[in-house]
Amino acid sequence: MAIIVNLDVMMAKRKMSLNDLSERVNITLANLSKLKTGKVRAIRFSTLEAVCEALDCQPGDLLEYSKE
Amino acid sequence: MKTRVKANNLIFKGLKIISWVIFVGLSVEAGGLLVNFIFSLVRPEFIQNLYQKLDLSQLYQNSKWAFFGMYGFVLTISILKAVLFYQVVLLVTKIDLSKPFNSWVSKQILKISYYTLSIGLLSFIARQLAKDLGHNGFVLNQLEAFWADSQAFILMAAVIYVIGTIFSKGVEYQEELEETV
Repeated sequence: MAIIVNLDVMMAKRKMSLNDLSERVNITLANLSKLKTGKVRAIRFSTLEAVCEALDCQPGDLLEYSKE
Repeated sequence: MKTRVKANNLIFKGLKIISWVIFVGLSVEAGGLLVNFIFSLVRPEFIQNLYQKLDLSQLYQNSKWAFFGMYGFVLTISILKAVLFYQVVLLVTKIDLSKPFNSWVSKQILKISYYTLSIGLLSFIARQLAKDLGHNGFVLNQLEAFWADSQAFILMAAVIYVIGTIFSKGVEYQEELEETV
């Protein structure tokens, strides 16, 4: 997919584990793991908002477009 | 809500039983016709007493080609009808009413529509051929029952195809929803 999810990069920058983030954004660990590995087809704005708030970042920090 | 689910389950159980009964009936008919066909190849004297007292001896005497052609249509249509109801039995047996939207169910519905269309088209062709043969002096009134409902099958195939297409679209949407976080 042309959209790359940089959630792991942002988590590493903020020194936050997947468990912590899962508790903060109230999303299951399984779903968050899928998002981290880019195995999802879509992301809700509400999820994006929660993740951005928890990691104190912009949506652009999490998502990247790359021409295949 | 609960009573509606219970009623649906009850209707579905009824449908399951009916589809099994129809499948067995059609299989018996197809089997009988197939055995008759094999017998008619080996012993032509059996042709006057085929499945369900079908007497095609006159047709056989007039033209063997016409007999085997028309009997081939009858046999193919009967076998296809049995296969169609086998697919229906598979569908009603394997479908999970609590989670009916999956790709297997949508494929199965589309498969049923293809079988229905094949039966309809074959019946239509057979009916036209029987009409033509009738103009040439062949008596084929006894076979009318095997392809009398050709248009109904074609129409039904179209309806089932539409339902199958809507179902597959629904499955696509559901999969997308499930893969959204």
